Amino acid sequence: MNDSAHVEAFYRHVASGGKVDVGEWMPDDYRTAVRRFVEMHANSELMGVLPEREWILRAPTLKRKLALTAKVQDEVGHAQLLYRVAEDLGKPREAMLADLLAGRTKFHNVFHYPTRSWADVGIIAWLVDAAAIVAQQALRESSYAPYARTMKKICWEESVHIMHGRDVVLTMVNGTSEQRAMVQEALNRWWGPLMQMHGPPTEPAKDRDLAWRIKNKDNDTLRQEFLSTYVPRIREIGLELPDPELRQDPGSGRWHYTEPDWKELYAVVTGHGPKSQERLAFRRLNYEQTRWVRETVLSEPKVAA
Amino acid sequence: MQHAGNLLAPDPELASHYAREFYGRRQESVRLWVVPRAAIRDVDDPDLLQPPLDRSFKKPVGYSAEIKRKLAAARARVAGEQP
Repeated sequence: MNDSAHVEAFYRHVASGGKVDVGEWMPDDYRTAVRRFVEMHANSELMGVLPEREWILRAPTLKRKLALTAKVQDEVGHAQLLYRVAEDLGKPREAMLADLLAGRTKFHNVFHYPTRSWADVGIIAWLVDAAAIVAQQALRESSYAPYARTMKKICWEESVHIMHGRDVVLTMVNGTSEQRAMVQEALNRWWGPLMQMHGPPTEPAKDRDLAWRIKNKDNDTLRQEFLSTYVPRIREIGLELPDPELRQDPGSGRWHYTEPDWKELYAVVTGHGPKSQERLAFRRLNYEQTRWVRETVLSEPKVAA
Repeated sequence: MQHAGNLLAPDPELASHYAREFYGRRQESVRLWVVPRAAIRDVDDPDLLQPPLDRSFKKPVGYSAEIKRKLAAARARVAGEQP
């Protein structure tokens, strides 16, 4: 059913804002494009818990420990929801996990970096989640309806994560000068990966995800939105951005900044980040150690003799 | 029993008399406990006394008022540091 008239009608439908739901006909290219997009998102949610998980046992108060545990639970839940959406497009969950663990598929750059202090946890929960939510809010309008619906739930939960992160940062900047210095140092390290997170500018004409409205905003637009909202919020509490070129054009409102290191981004997402291999190794170990649970739950019931 | 205040006295017996003068002269007290300050153990850890078992840590209501207050404090500090 891939005849060109049908395919063209489909692309006109999605390009003009039409939605596609699970079980409806779609061209193979579109199906693959959506599946890859959602798969990388699912991978990122699953791998994204690892930097913060490292701090559950080192949180400074019980409330923070509980909040971090709840956040990690939420993120794994998001991964499950997204693998479910991707599975319906034709790739079994086991295959997606196998590809992730073998390093054949990617997850977002920010989750390949180490955490060095409690301040990192605040910066990640506030600003990394904020950068992610800028993209995810736009995805609520995705042409693929199951993904759009999932994004609405995910965005609501992420908004609480961001509040938690902002509360951690505010608590520290309102504390001692050592705590403020710790936050500034963490921000200095995370700013580079944050600026790379939305990806390099793409040519709209060549971006199929954009043309088919799988995503509705290009990378550059997302980065500009992130900067417009969060640079003022970072500066108003006395923190500095470590980019001397960062400034907003007063007329157009457009942000200028040092061009992010796209080579670093590429190296990191292809598995050469500081923590890429260690975190994938942890996931492999975890997958092996929980094999008995999967086999027990998924096996055929045995009849008692 | 409520915390009424503190006093300075050279010995426990005079401390009792002073306490009656400061906190019982108009029959406003029916009982007084007078203790040396060093004997008081202050337990104020919120994790022990008010653990967040209401799950506020995973709801907006657990953060919104806190953030508002801390943001105001942070802005005030930054404003105070301007030359």
